[in-house]
Amino acid sequence: MRTATCAAFAAAMTCSLAVAPARAADKVVHLYNWSDYIAEDTLETFTKETGIKAVYDVYDSNEVLEAKLLAGKSGYDVVFPTARPFAMRQIKSGLYRKLDKSKLPNLKNMDPGLMKALASIDPGNAHGVPYMWGTTGIGINVDKVKAALGESADIGSLAMIFKPENAKKLAACGISFLDDQEETFAMALRYLGRDVATKNKTDIDAAAEAFKAIRPYIKYFHGSQYINDLANGDICVAHGYSGDILQARTRAAEAKNGVNIRYIIPKEGAVLWTDMMLIPKDAPNPAEAHAYINFIMKPEVVAKISNFVSYANANKAANDLVDPEIRNDPGIYPPDEVMAKLYMLPDNDQALIRYRVRAWTRVKTGQ
Amino acid sequence: MRRWRSFSLFSVLAFGYAFLYVPILSLIVYSFNESRLVTVWAGFSTKWYGELLQNDQILSAAWLSLKIAVLNASGSVVLGSLAGLVLARFGRFRGRTAFTTLITAPLVMPEVIIGLSLLLMFVTLQNFIGWPGERGMTTITIAHLTFSTAYVTVVIQSRLSQMDVSIEEAALDLGAKPAKVFFVITVPVIAPALVAGWLLAFTLSLDDLVIASFVSGPGASTLPMVVYSSVRLGVSPQINALATIIVCIVTVAILIAGFIMHRQEKQRRNA
Repeated sequence: MRTATCAAFAAAMTCSLAVAPARAADKVVHLYNWSDYIAEDTLETFTKETGIKAVYDVYDSNEVLEAKLLAGKSGYDVVFPTARPFAMRQIKSGLYRKLDKSKLPNLKNMDPGLMKALASIDPGNAHGVPYMWGTTGIGINVDKVKAALGESADIGSLAMIFKPENAKKLAACGISFLDDQEETFAMALRYLGRDVATKNKTDIDAAAEAFKAIRPYIKYFHGSQYINDLANGDICVAHGYSGDILQARTRAAEAKNGVNIRYIIPKEGAVLWTDMMLIPKDAPNPAEAHAYINFIMKPEVVAKISNFVSYANANKAANDLVDPEIRNDPGIYPPDEVMAKLYMLPDNDQALIRYRVRAWTRVKTGQ
Repeated sequence: MRRWRSFSLFSVLAFGYAFLYVPILSLIVYSFNESRLVTVWAGFSTKWYGELLQNDQILSAAWLSLKIAVLNASGSVVLGSLAGLVLARFGRFRGRTAFTTLITAPLVMPEVIIGLSLLLMFVTLQNFIGWPGERGMTTITIAHLTFSTAYVTVVIQSRLSQMDVSIEEAALDLGAKPAKVFFVITVPVIAPALVAGWLLAFTLSLDDLVIASFVSGPGASTLPMVVYSSVRLGVSPQINALATIIVCIVTVAILIAGFIMHRQEKQRRNA
């Protein structure tokens, strides 16, 4: 019995081995990205234009992607990590292949401002190209917030939640924060008028104090639950990613439940985040990977993706091709004066990160 | 008094059923929801079923998950029976403690550790012997076998140790070979445990996200991976639709199995 099992097992293994090289003859590119993070026809058009088959796999967190890249031989050709802190430290540890820019003529379409911002984590933009980008701001249920704070309330400012008397009034309808110490501390430092890239522990203490003052009024800390809660009217103020809050807005509108959601980039500014396209160092099909990145940098292709996922792309030439509804939404494509106030998460040293994590844990547990 | 007792028993039963089945029912109801919001009712529609049938990614992920679950369940029942038999019948042997520990270790090991260590093992193997050339269905199945076998072993071992050994001995006395005794006597007696173990391993495999995330490779995304990944842009009611279809298939399969078993039981009694 045991030998029979072994034999069957060995046969199965041999089969799977024998099949693999036969498939390699066709040109293929393996993409590793979030689910539904492309337009419905992107892969089809790519195959039609280049003759390369695109296989789209999905992950559910940047951490899983990182674990696979660190283990090596992941087998993926193009991956889409968030620039900070993931792509930054992955580039630093040499996980990515340098781009062959002669194969990427469409690089000329990219937004020079964003490319420059990314050069801070990827010198000379040698490894990666920005994909979609967004901001981390505040989503509000307009009617409930106005009812709680009064018509004349200054809802464009972070004081709306960081002033304890305001937070107290909003507590009844619910406040949520991202459970992410980098994002929350950056926002609190900005509210206090301090340097986001601070190296001083006293600044961190001050930010933690600002949170402690409003801690009793915060309903929960979570990375995605606020999408549904905001759309259903279960919370009225959510610190979250632009794309998520706009999604909540769309859902509330679809459900016709009378919940009126607005995404706000506070006048103090907001964190700008970017997802990037990168080629792992041991990618099996680098030529096809370049072809895919170049294809995505075509204005008409990336504009369709933006229309489908409602995120802004980093392609200047695509601006006129994006649906006006998205292009003119200040939550997705902020006007220039707001753009100037956006900032990227800083590059902190380990000691400060540890200190911040401990401070954040104390805030969350209310100690 | 008696009426009161039957009423309270009935309400406890109703509560138990509600606890188990209301979530599944609400999932099915919302799969017919017009709205994209999973929690707000906006009218009847079957559009999510239509969209699901167009969605190659979810369908191929579901198909992959089912294939892995069946392979895993069958494999772990075979391995689990062997291990259970050794633990229940072979008494004390050299290395028994080590064997027990290794078999039950996956029960208490955090999934993250199993997943990461298997990933590192596969990468090292690939570097040294060139296999597995590409991670995917094979590696996910192997990974699932490692922890499912542990659960199945426990189920089968406990059934075996409750079984009356004298009927096996009687068969041996009457001249049956050990292999024949195993297939003709032991297997039918422990059949319920085998079925339970198979279903348990099937469910564990279909449910697993963490380990599969680590050991999957290009072209192999399982259903839980796709579902969790869609959190980024919103879980769509297509998932409800798919879950409804799976629940229906499982219900039908259980009904058919129940019907067949019922008929066999009847024939056995009549004979």
